[in-house]
Amino acid sequence: MRKSLYAKTKLVLVMCIGLSGCVHVAPWERGNLAKSQMDLDPHPLQSERQSHNYSSREAAPSDKSSSGGGGCGCY
Amino acid sequence: MPQRSGSNLHSRNLEVQSAKPRNTTLQALTSAALVLPGLLITPGHAAGTDRVNFQYSRYQEGERNLYGAPNSLKPISADVLHGSGIFSLTDRTKFSFSYTQDTWSGATQITTSPLVANGNRLYYENTSSGVTVAGASPIINNRILLDRNLNPLRQDPEGGQSLSQDSRSVLVMSYASPETRNQANFGLSREWNEAAFNVGGGFSRERDYKSSYGSLGGRLDFNQKLTTVKLGAGYTDSAVGAILDHDASPYITKNAFSEQIVKRGGSEVLLGDRQDWVANMGLTQVLTKNALVDANIGYTHSNGYLENPYKVMSVIFVDPAALNNNQTTPVIGDMRALLEQRPNIRNQVAINTKYIQYIGAFDAALHLGYRLSVDDWGVNTHTFDASWVQPIASGWTLTPRIRYYSQDAASFYKPYLISQQTYRKIEVDSSGRVIWIDPSNPNEQYFRDSDFNLIDQNGNPVNEDLVNVQPKTSLFDSGKLPDNFSSDYRLAGFGALSGGATLNKMIMKGVALEAGFEYYTHASSMQLGGSGGNSFADFGYYVANAALKLDMEQVNFARPNISNSHQHEDSTKQHHHKIPPAGIMFGHMLDKPGDLMVGYRFMHNWTNGHMMHGGHKVSDQTIVQQGCSDTTPCRFTPDYMNMSMHMLDIMYAPAKWLNVMLMPTFMTMDMNLRELAGRPAPVPGVHEHQGIAGHETGAVGDTYISSLVKLINIPGHRVHMNLGLSAPTGKVDIELRRMAQIDGGLIHFGMQLGSGTWDFTPSLTYAGEKNRWSWGTQLSGVKRMEDKNKSGYRLGDVFQATTWGGYDLTQWLTASVRGAYTLQGAIQRDFDRFNAHIGPMDFPANYGGQFWDIGLGLNARIPGGRFAGNRFGFEWLEPVRSDFNGFQLDRKGALSATWSYLF
Repeated sequence: MRKSLYAKTKLVLVMCIGLSGCVHVAPWERGNLAKSQMDLDPHPLQSERQSHNYSSREAAPSDKSSSGGGGCGCY
Repeated sequence: MPQRSGSNLHSRNLEVQSAKPRNTTLQALTSAALVLPGLLITPGHAAGTDRVNFQYSRYQEGERNLYGAPNSLKPISADVLHGSGIFSLTDRTKFSFSYTQDTWSGATQITTSPLVANGNRLYYENTSSGVTVAGASPIINNRILLDRNLNPLRQDPEGGQSLSQDSRSVLVMSYASPETRNQANFGLSREWNEAAFNVGGGFSRERDYKSSYGSLGGRLDFNQKLTTVKLGAGYTDSAVGAILDHDASPYITKNAFSEQIVKRGGSEVLLGDRQDWVANMGLTQVLTKNALVDANIGYTHSNGYLENPYKVMSVIFVDPAALNNNQTTPVIGDMRALLEQRPNIRNQVAINTKYIQYIGAFDAALHLGYRLSVDDWGVNTHTFDASWVQPIASGWTLTPRIRYYSQDAASFYKPYLISQQTYRKIEVDSSGRVIWIDPSNPNEQYFRDSDFNLIDQNGNPVNEDLVNVQPKTSLFDSGKLPDNFSSDYRLAGFGALSGGATLNKMIMKGVALEAGFEYYTHASSMQLGGSGGNSFADFGYYVANAALKLDMEQVNFARPNISNSHQHEDSTKQHHHKIPPAGIMFGHMLDKPGDLMVGYRFMHNWTNGHMMHGGHKVSDQTIVQQGCSDTTPCRFTPDYMNMSMHMLDIMYAPAKWLNVMLMPTFMTMDMNLRELAGRPAPVPGVHEHQGIAGHETGAVGDTYISSLVKLINIPGHRVHMNLGLSAPTGKVDIELRRMAQIDGGLIHFGMQLGSGTWDFTPSLTYAGEKNRWSWGTQLSGVKRMEDKNKSGYRLGDVFQATTWGGYDLTQWLTASVRGAYTLQGAIQRDFDRFNAHIGPMDFPANYGGQFWDIGLGLNARIPGGRFAGNRFGFEWLEPVRSDFNGFQLDRKGALSATWSYLF
């Protein structure tokens, strides 16, 4: 059981590294990736507000918990 | 790993070289330029350019289903003001900050109980059309009937005796008066060619919850920035100091937390500490030239006091003797409210994945996200979201978004509990005799003999006239209750669907407006695999927000020589008239048609210390007798009152002689009262100020709209006139919550957020300068243009005359001295609805007066370098003399701070 888990983890790791190794996007082909609509978070002001509202109404850990902080939201 | 990435890089370079002959010269040049250090951006992580953002957001919740009881308590709303910025300290080091202030109030769940327990009890009032339902107030202790299977029973109102099962539950709603939270965050980040590191920290302060945090994070790019690995960790320390609701507290069983509750000034304060640790790891991978994927795993460990101090659990105690008496008649349940008990530890793991695809046909991007979180409370969640970022012509971008969320209930969540024991039981000794005690000496035990005569432990008769005995009782056995319980609907199983859109418009180089809207609906039936059993908690909310986003880097690029060339000095010299002290509004004009200036102004005003009458200190006894009215003596007086104003200054020059201005404001007030010495005794049914908590209000204030007209502009001398209006966007009908079955009524005049009337705000300004000296004078006024606002009163008119002189200490720093005289009228008319009239601040005559102040200020204009174009101003206004109308709290001064930037 433990061995198979180890094997699976190894497989996933190898796949990840393999996948990243296979990707070839030359610098001059990155015009679309550099557009603002392709940002991971294109509207940070919105996502900050949304995240605060969701975390005051839902029990999941906050999206923004990586940055910590943020008071109670006790309402 | 670094070795591997190095070899990757090496092989990529070889490929680039080998590809060269096949590419055009242009491509080769482009690629060569792009791989120069720092130019190749990391996909998905656009480096934050120097920018400043202002945002206002409003959260408004819908009404809850109270099964026929009126939603007399306004649903929760929150007004949120946010400002943030990023500034480059060096080419690779950036400083970021953000400030958020939210004020919320409204109906909030205190517990859940069976509907038959009448948790939202109606109260009535006499009106001209007879007795009508005026509202509902929370009842958290009650007796209900249960059948032998412990199902709640409803007494049929028609049949009287006939009973039917009613298994419905209902949220019991209480009301929270306005409360403000302030949060500030700071961050410092450093970028290298293929790595970044950041450190951050901040704090959040509200009356009952203080938290501080710090975080570290980093990013490493591999594979020519096609792969990015992110790591982060953070720690938050929080302290809870919750003032328990003065009205509800006597009905709440708090023994599980008795060691954490302290008494302060007549209030019970529940203290708690908690710590949260977070760690996360992520990977961003470019898949093709049009797609990338991002995955993160995060772990959160929390410990300490994780409860919500204002939530109680309804526990229905049933006497087992009555339940097991072999009859079939209903049994009585004794419903009590216990402070909720959550586990002291929580571990959460969340996995976030995001896929972003560029859609060439529309020049748009599709964002798809999925998030899974699991924790040891049993709350497992799934979140799916999708958004479509669509740039439209001429600077518009529209982003519709949809989100679905589902969570399982926490293992200890129950709408209410039933416990087969009595809430309070009579103590007996080992031989079954009832123990009697005298509460004044509880260690001495007494008994009764067969003739009901009182005897002591040795069987000797006791004279009942000398002791005051009662049966000894003890509270329920908490061991028979679950270890943890909560009826907070946020820990129940439910699903939520929300949708909305964000609209962006670039209005000029570096200046963009953003508006967002979202509607959210929470329904128990939408839970994945759920039964929908908690539909009593279903509700919805909407959020609307508007933001102004300023990108200084774009503007600086547009002015290529801003940083270190005298050309810039020449081209913009005409803008550099000396600016008046920070406390002066409408004090200068833009000169060049098409110029836009955006600024932020903060003002804070302190009043505290002695109560004053005219220009003299006054005793409590005099205030009691004269501060209110002949029929109502004063009982309370302000202890302190602080007012803050945040103002956004947007100024535009359509012509050389004309400027137009728009200035939205956001106000926060904060005050506390004290009891007057020698006040009359409380009268039942009359509002009293209870406990140690003060009052806070905050939200959008009035909005100023102005036009500035240049009258004289000769070298060294300028005169301009301002014709402005103030629009009544600030609330004037903020109410205090109902307490002790007495309405709080409208909060004091000074705590309302606006004037409530359309006001005319003219001013005339003269400014002169010669060499290092500058001077000026301004006459200004506020004329209320309506008789009364919607609460029935109007503020007094204002006239101000001020004059100042300034001296340039250096080329970029000016010091100023100013004198100001202000005349303000008393409030006219009065509230046309109920106000408690408990002290001088509730009487219109105790407002306004004549005031003399001296101001000391500094203005800085950054002439060159990285921050060129930013202007800062500070001024402290020190009261010199006051002649108050009526009875008022002494003035302690005012601070003004301004920032502005010319686009």
